Amino acid sequence: MSWLERANPTVKMALLLVVSLATLFLLDVRVLLTLYLLGLVAAYGAARLDVRTLALAQVPFLLFAVGLVMVNAVSRPGEPLVEGSAVRVTVEGLVMGVALALRGMVIGVLTVAFLATTPPRDLMASLAQHARLSPRYAYSMLAGHRMLVAMPRRWATIRAAQAVRAPLGRDGRPRLGVRDFGRAAFTLLVGSVRASERIALAMESRGLSAGPRTVWRPVPVGRRDAVLAVVVLGTAVAVVVGGRLV
Amino acid sequence: MSRPETARRAPRLELKDIVLMVMLGVVFGFLYWALVQAWNGLAVLMGPAGDLAQHVLLGGWLIVAPIAIAILRRPFVGIVAEVIASVIEVVFLGSPVGPILLVVAAIQGLGSELPFAAGRYRRFGWARYAVSGLMGAGLVFVFSAFRFDWWGQDILLLRLGLQLASGVLLGGLLARVVVDALVRTGALDNFAIVRDQADRRAPVARRER
Repeated sequence: MSWLERANPTVKMALLLVVSLATLFLLDVRVLLTLYLLGLVAAYGAARLDVRTLALAQVPFLLFAVGLVMVNAVSRPGEPLVEGSAVRVTVEGLVMGVALALRGMVIGVLTVAFLATTPPRDLMASLAQHARLSPRYAYSMLAGHRMLVAMPRRWATIRAAQAVRAPLGRDGRPRLGVRDFGRAAFTLLVGSVRASERIALAMESRGLSAGPRTVWRPVPVGRRDAVLAVVVLGTAVAVVVGGRLV
Repeated sequence: MSRPETARRAPRLELKDIVLMVMLGVVFGFLYWALVQAWNGLAVLMGPAGDLAQHVLLGGWLIVAPIAIAILRRPFVGIVAEVIASVIEVVFLGSPVGPILLVVAAIQGLGSELPFAAGRYRRFGWARYAVSGLMGAGLVFVFSAFRFDWWGQDILLLRLGLQLASGVLLGGLLARVVVDALVRTGALDNFAIVRDQADRRAPVARRER
């Protein structure tokens, strides 16, 4: 079990939210790059993500970053990078694009570390225990989690059932156009609404709707979490202040 | 006269209402996830335009709030439903946007809920849905513009226009289409949307079989 896995989910989530919101006020490329590298180190060291997983997790952010840099480079007023080129690329736009992309990557790497070390059940139990989330919501969300896991299978069933009757495409395969997607989606929605009523009834009949509750396998909170909070917030503040001074 | 049951409503939501909100978040989260899988490849090919394409789809994120409000007809349901959907998005589907999505969802939900709150959760015309989508998209645009610093870009108005149009169509009018179709299936017979209307009508047998 990695160090971060033993930390309290509510504390982790709160820290992630605070750091994410704080990065929204940062535009210094050096500071953001430092935070990103520290985030990578943390994900490798404290969350024990292996290099391959970590590298793969960066792919969506890099793709997103490419788009962000490109759109900012061509859409901002400022000094042109190359005089007289067909598309006006500005230095200001490029710097801004890189900063915005890095912002997303800082949040992204921390989110990956958070999600990899936090089972949904523990997060919900912890939110109910430590963040005063009503157990009715916590248990409903966990029921939703189970439904979500079953969703691809329900989708495949609906698609198969509709494909039996639907006219086939030119190549003899069932089509999935906008209309077909809409029809399957609506079927999924109706089935899920009906299921939600049954699930609620089942939960009520097990007494999950009312009264004070005890928690099975409670999630601990302790000194480790205080250390985590101090380390994360201290590092973030130190990097930001350092960036101002240098 | 309405029945005493509706005169003094329960102070909090029933479990079945909460599970319904969760389920809306799950279904639309899943559908959106399925759509985005197909979309991502396209967005990469489009290059800089891919960044603009996000505005076209944005209305899809809003749709949960008006649907939940129309079905449950209670205050704060839109905001709660949006936040639940975002938690599902982040924690269960692993969205890389992270917990900031919770903040975004609360802002969206607030925007979508305001027009219905102004109608005291009793009026559900087409125009109200449209305004709901418009306000949801508009309010979150302010936050996103701050988040990605769109203010300094030349294409600010293009972004705003795309996002508002998407909000009205996908986050407003489509919600009404979905709600009406859901009512016709009978799946909502035990929820406020059908019960309230049944209360208003004369106490006759609702269905003949």
